[in-house]
Amino acid sequence: MSWTNVKLIFLRELRDQLRDRRTMFTIVVLPMLLYPLLGMCFLQVQQFLQEHPSRVRVVGADYLPAAPALLADGLFAESLAGDRQQLLIVELAEDAADETALLRTAAQRDIRAGLCDLVLVFPPDFAQRLAEFHRALPSASLQPTGVAAAIPEPLILLDSASEKSKIARSRVEEVLRRWREQMVEDNLRERHVPVSATRPFELKPDDVADASSKAAAVWSKILPFIVMIWALTGAFYPAVDLCAGEKERGTLETLLSSPAQRGEIVWGKLLTVMTFSMATALLNLAITTGMATFIIARLGNMAAAGVQIRQIGSPPLAALGWLVLALPPLSALFSALSLAVAAFARSSKEGQYYLMPLLMVSLPLMLLPMLPQTELDLGFSLIPICGLMLLLRTLIEGQFLEALRYSLPVIGVTAVCCLLAIRWAIDQFNNESVLFRESERLDLGLWIKHLVRDRGDTPTVGEAALCGVLLLVIRFFSNFMIPAPGNWSQFATTVLVMQVALVATPACLMAIILTRRPAQALLLGLPSRMITLPAAVLLAACLHPTFAWLAEAIRFVYPLSPSIARQLESVAHLATTQPIWQVVLIIGLTPAICEEIAFRGFILSGLRGMGHKWGAIILTSVIFGLAHGLLQQSLSACAVGIVIGYIVVKSGSLWPGVLFHFTHNSLSVLQSHITPKLQDSHPLLRFLFFPGCDDGSLFYSPQATLVLGLLGLGVLWWLRSLPYNRSPEERLQEALDHQAPLPAKSMA
Amino acid sequence: MIHVRDLTKSYADLRRGQFIALAGISFDALPGQIYGLLGPNGAGKTSALRILSTVLRPTSGRATINGYDVLTQPGLVRHQIGFVSTNTAVYDRMTAWEMVEYFGRLYGLAPELLRERMNRIFERLSMVEIRDVLGSKMSTGMKQKVSIARALVHDPPVLIFDEATAGLDVLVARALLKTVAHLRDQGKCIIFSTHIMREAERLCDRIAIMHRGHMLAEGNMAELQSRHGEHDLEELFFRLISDHDGKTERQSEGETEGQSDTITITTINPTLHPSVSPSGS
Repeated sequence: MSWTNVKLIFLRELRDQLRDRRTMFTIVVLPMLLYPLLGMCFLQVQQFLQEHPSRVRVVGADYLPAAPALLADGLFAESLAGDRQQLLIVELAEDAADETALLRTAAQRDIRAGLCDLVLVFPPDFAQRLAEFHRALPSASLQPTGVAAAIPEPLILLDSASEKSKIARSRVEEVLRRWREQMVEDNLRERHVPVSATRPFELKPDDVADASSKAAAVWSKILPFIVMIWALTGAFYPAVDLCAGEKERGTLETLLSSPAQRGEIVWGKLLTVMTFSMATALLNLAITTGMATFIIARLGNMAAAGVQIRQIGSPPLAALGWLVLALPPLSALFSALSLAVAAFARSSKEGQYYLMPLLMVSLPLMLLPMLPQTELDLGFSLIPICGLMLLLRTLIEGQFLEALRYSLPVIGVTAVCCLLAIRWAIDQFNNESVLFRESERLDLGLWIKHLVRDRGDTPTVGEAALCGVLLLVIRFFSNFMIPAPGNWSQFATTVLVMQVALVATPACLMAIILTRRPAQALLLGLPSRMITLPAAVLLAACLHPTFAWLAEAIRFVYPLSPSIARQLESVAHLATTQPIWQVVLIIGLTPAICEEIAFRGFILSGLRGMGHKWGAIILTSVIFGLAHGLLQQSLSACAVGIVIGYIVVKSGSLWPGVLFHFTHNSLSVLQSHITPKLQDSHPLLRFLFFPGCDDGSLFYSPQATLVLGLLGLGVLWWLRSLPYNRSPEERLQEALDHQAPLPAKSMA
Repeated sequence: MIHVRDLTKSYADLRRGQFIALAGISFDALPGQIYGLLGPNGAGKTSALRILSTVLRPTSGRATINGYDVLTQPGLVRHQIGFVSTNTAVYDRMTAWEMVEYFGRLYGLAPELLRERMNRIFERLSMVEIRDVLGSKMSTGMKQKVSIARALVHDPPVLIFDEATAGLDVLVARALLKTVAHLRDQGKCIIFSTHIMREAERLCDRIAIMHRGHMLAEGNMAELQSRHGEHDLEELFFRLISDHDGKTERQSEGETEGQSDTITITTINPTLHPSVSPSGS
């Protein structure tokens, strides 16, 4: 690749965008006008913001005790409501001695109709029961149950679906709490017990955070989100113009026939999109920060909101520094994704529609770090976008050591995602069906006819992807419909039904309908080298300890919740109480056949049409992993799936993959049946296992894992040396990757 | 210079299934020659030329330009060609000079050489006046001149013109054809596709007549005339196409009839059919 060409293309595209008045208006002028206008509106609205009083209907006010008084002159007593008295409007309702059910119905109706916000009901015996409680106190035992029956209960009827009702509830509960405290003080005084007996110590929190830390804590959640959302939108619109817009204007063919390689074109455009993404994010960040500082300073003078706003403080300068540092990789990721998505669009209008799916995927990952219980740890640092946002939050809050610990996985994951996105964008530019896609009328019948009439021997990439999505959707809904098994028979039936009917059958049906040679599509032929069959079994046995350690490491990073751990234990217990052959048949053989038919058969065959063997293997494994439901199992399954996929590609047949899968699952079953006594009695088992952390459980020993792992690597190395059947797309891609270098710039 | 063997290109189409745009065409084009691809719309000319310019990939077959394969060595092929078509537009926000300079630099030309070439080309093509005109302000003729300048700036040995005169007025089209002839005289290998008979007849040294992805005839005018007994290219063109269409229809009917084992005899009742009279007139 020539970086000179990349630079040329980048500078040309940049100059072109800078000459576009609409782009400059959207990126530069609009934020400069928008934020001050928003700020002005906010200041205007702030003047009108006020708290509305809650209307409380009190039923049974006649049953209240005389002292201490709850109500006075039709309002809550001033000593109880304090300065919020004006926020509580009391309506006294006639007590019709209705039953509770009728009162609830009436309350629901009236709250929804807006006649009141909350209904407070005192039963007819309220004062009487209070008096009885008061009289029973001297002879009451120290156990709370003694007087529990005598405690009267006012009824608070609210509608939690109404915000006003919830606000009224918190205000009324505050009043009732103070009223109760007053009664307690009166009771104590009567018995000559000092009131301070109920408060042997006072709680006096002392906030050690300085103003800048408090400001950082608030802004650490807001600023990264602002930067991310503007980096995404700032990337998307230039990407649409550079790809779909260029198709519309007809200049794409001109560029494609130039000496610039597709990769150089993509990199040049990517750098342009990144520039605008960063510029948009920086400009919006600067204006947001400036406006926020200005507004906070102004609001500080306003009595109504002054105290609260002053506590937030202006955005700290260090925060801005971290955000600027994090912006390039973030912009690179969003720019690459936007470019790949925009390359698919035929026109700028169509390109705009593709922003929504991109936002739908990115937004939850941006919002998740804003939740208070989300903290930067190894698990979250491996989630794209989310990890980066949490890292920024941690840096802005000043927790540098914490941030340093997880910076490597965050940067690593972000870099990998960037590279994958750039690769995807380059693939889009290499795909002539994407570059020269014609618009077609939506005609379902025609499309179905085309699928059947024009089917090939193997599925297409789209059909393989569709199969993967279908299996995941089926899996999702089956989780809700199929009940958790209570015994072995139910468990076995569930597994059989799910595997055969919901995994293998859809793939087989798709192979029959969508391909001319279903057996070839599913790779059901025997391998050309039969030795790959025992090699697969050997490899599975050698790598089983490594995968077991991997699963443990995953569980360490992402611990199982107690409820999930209990469910898995109950399933494991079911398995250990049955004959081994049954367990191996259900857990070992059935998934091995059914899942391999679906994933390495139909899906991998189709995805190899992308022209990248490893891309197809990894994508198939990701779908395979996701089909396992639990995150911990998904990650393990993904790793195992990569090895199985490699074996299937190299052998050209599904059966080595089936054998690997069967061996792997069976070894897991057998391992759970090995008791410490059995392990102690066999030298081989003593070498292989050592007692795990839990009582009675065994785990692979490090030395056995190492020895077997090396042997497994040897088998993989041997597999690597085997020739294999490449798909036509893989052959073409290899030829393109190995084409002779371009002539030196000797035309000077 | 250009060698094409059994080149095919098919597209997946919802309505038509696998649509064959090129059905195994073969030809050779040499330096100092204008090789014409003549055919109506949908003949496959643009598909063939897009394959030669490496914008599209062939479904099967082989094509080499100056010894480089279009499928496996596209980067090297692009350095050998200049491609002008109705689909190669100009950038709206670049001036003529900027655009030609941009592509010149992509071809790796040193700044001084590039400037010298551009001055020469702009003078040759009478583009000096439009040097600083933005693409959005140019007429169709101006845009085509810029495209030609862009294709010539790196002095490629092969030039590909795909319906380059489409949309041009008579004067501009004539000037373009003169330029193409001049380039041929300089020793370039030129492929020129058109559906205008007159252009092909006057300009091309060899002509290939294409229809529905097939090459129906190929040769210089003398060869075509003697082989097919037709002196007028237009008449030859129509004859070849109607022969090909007829043959295609007969083939598809023959396929249908061949499947039946019955013989159908149709008679005309002379008392009912008005064209037949008892006297035979």
